[in-house]
Amino acid sequence: MVNDKLQNKKLYALSSENRKFSFSLPLKQTIRIGKRNYEVKLKADEKFGTYILWKNRKYPVEIVSSRQNKYEILFNDISYTFTVETPFSLQRMKVLNSKRGKVEKEFIKAPMPGKIIDVLVREGTTVLRGEPVVILEAMKMQNEILSPVNGIIVKVSARANTNVMKDDLLVEIKL
Amino acid sequence: MKISRILIANRGEIAVRIMKTAAIMNIETVAIKTAVEPGAMYLSSADVIYDNTDDATDIPVFLDIEKLVAIALKTKANAIHPGYGFLAENAYFAQKCIDNKIIFIGPSPDAIYKMGNKTIARKIALAGGIPMAMGSEGNLANEEEAIVMAEKIGYPVIIKAASGGGGRGMRIVRKSDEMEKMFNIASKEAEKAFNDPSVFVEKYIENPKHIEFQILGDTKGNVIHLGERECSIQRKHQKLLEEAPSGALDDKLRKKMGTMAVQIAKAVNYHSAGTVEFLLDSEKNFYFMEMNTRIQVEHPVTEIITGIDLIEQQIRVANGEALSFKQEDIKLNGWAIECRINAEDVQAGFAPDPGKIESIFMPSDPCVRVDTGVQAGSSIVASYDSMIAKLIVKGKDRKEAIKNCKMALDKVWIKGTKTTLPFFRMLVRNPKFLDGNFTTAFIENLDKYYLNSEYEEMLAAWLATKLFVEENLNDDSISVDFKHGKEMSPWLLNKRINQF
Repeated sequence: MVNDKLQNKKLYALSSENRKFSFSLPLKQTIRIGKRNYEVKLKADEKFGTYILWKNRKYPVEIVSSRQNKYEILFNDISYTFTVETPFSLQRMKVLNSKRGKVEKEFIKAPMPGKIIDVLVREGTTVLRGEPVVILEAMKMQNEILSPVNGIIVKVSARANTNVMKDDLLVEIKL
Repeated sequence: MKISRILIANRGEIAVRIMKTAAIMNIETVAIKTAVEPGAMYLSSADVIYDNTDDATDIPVFLDIEKLVAIALKTKANAIHPGYGFLAENAYFAQKCIDNKIIFIGPSPDAIYKMGNKTIARKIALAGGIPMAMGSEGNLANEEEAIVMAEKIGYPVIIKAASGGGGRGMRIVRKSDEMEKMFNIASKEAEKAFNDPSVFVEKYIENPKHIEFQILGDTKGNVIHLGERECSIQRKHQKLLEEAPSGALDDKLRKKMGTMAVQIAKAVNYHSAGTVEFLLDSEKNFYFMEMNTRIQVEHPVTEIITGIDLIEQQIRVANGEALSFKQEDIKLNGWAIECRINAEDVQAGFAPDPGKIESIFMPSDPCVRVDTGVQAGSSIVASYDSMIAKLIVKGKDRKEAIKNCKMALDKVWIKGTKTTLPFFRMLVRNPKFLDGNFTTAFIENLDKYYLNSEYEEMLAAWLATKLFVEENLNDDSISVDFKHGKEMSPWLLNKRINQF
């Protein structure tokens, strides 16, 4: 059934920075640049692992994650996140986005695993954008974790001298 | 006593580098096998491997002075090379070696101590009439004292660790109400990193270039310099790319700064290889910053333009030999650039990305030198630095060196961790970098840290779409988990790919 739906249609890959790439179905093994079509191949071997071959050059690729229609792809050492949408789901997404209210809270998470050296804020303090909130040590370097927003600290989960994993919640800020 | 066997008190690429020269000089080497990296590449270059994998102590062996001396004695090594980092600038370690009749390949404990203590180094430079940024005479007891001093010399100021180096324990303060927070951060970081919480402040030179001079001295009192290195491409005081020479210096300024650098070294009777660091402002005024009393990560760029093997010179000087060349014999030929390829996620603000290197290929070309301690299967472990390899490229001039660098960067292939490669691929195309018009503020002023190639993004988008099509069109035919491309076995993946 899905098969029928997708035939002779288009798919859109939306990047996290809202760039849109459209591809006709059935998906071709070529990419058009200007007036020419260039063959693109996904390959893998023991020596190089997975790679894409394009214009006589190999590019390393890895599929970091895929969840439903969301894909994170590491291409030539740069990670890209796309959601792949059909014309129908794209339309639905636009409608949903326009209805959604604006964000009210910012969650600061640990960008990498490490040890909390110091917590520089308390619940109730006001922070400005760019102000350090937590000091996290990872790989011998002390990193100041900065507030990306102006707001009031509503919750402090980080505790000095404890270890955190990547993406652990450190601080919650109300905008 | 001549050096016949060297214990390498280090790991990674610098251990490999030292062993390479030792082999040419017919000197044996001892490497230490640790539980953290029992299969590390540097072990395969050593003549003797000391197995320390059963060490149950908490501190790394490369920081354990008593243990290192004991290992040297046990393995009959009559010299120790400390490399960089770890104990390379620890005067007590150098003294301990001497006390045990082991040759320390580096300067005297006295020189290490004086230059290692920034407040003493400042006094020495001041006495020698070396230009310096205004600052406190000695260490500061608390933030109140720091505020008083900062008011005197004017904001912005930089707080530095007295025993510091390598960029740690440093904080810039732009107004007095930031002082308390920054003073405490700097002091805490200094205590943790250097076992000494004392800090001082000096005037912060805005947007300078970081220029350093390579020094070489022997035990007969001869000291010369081998020209400068441009190290302004740095982030949080961690260098990412270095070049030699620097486009900012002409022969006159080079001579002036070089003479000052030699003078500082002579003031502490310096022997072995060392580096005198300066800041150069937009008016070409220069200020002494510090002296590093060790071999540096970026030493290869100097080796390439001078043709001198710095590790060989360190060993010869440690053997008591006089330098076989004079200042006027040193000629700078061509241009060299070093890119530090680290396991870091450029897109996440250069966050370390430790992991296993699944495959690594570095270009082999007459204009390319690669210094690395990593091979396919090696792990970049969180307990050490994130260095994967140093890509060193030369050319007859800066333009050619950059062109060769661009070519070499496209040939580097590393899978398993994210790397600083996208940063360098951007850098060699950045107009400001290309015309040499950059300062230490270069990276923080960038809009984007990596190359944004629309073709590459389009190819990635194509791949995402392909995966989506596959999952939605062929969902009954395949039950392979495609989510973890990293761990997937090659034959499964092949099967998967062949279905297209």
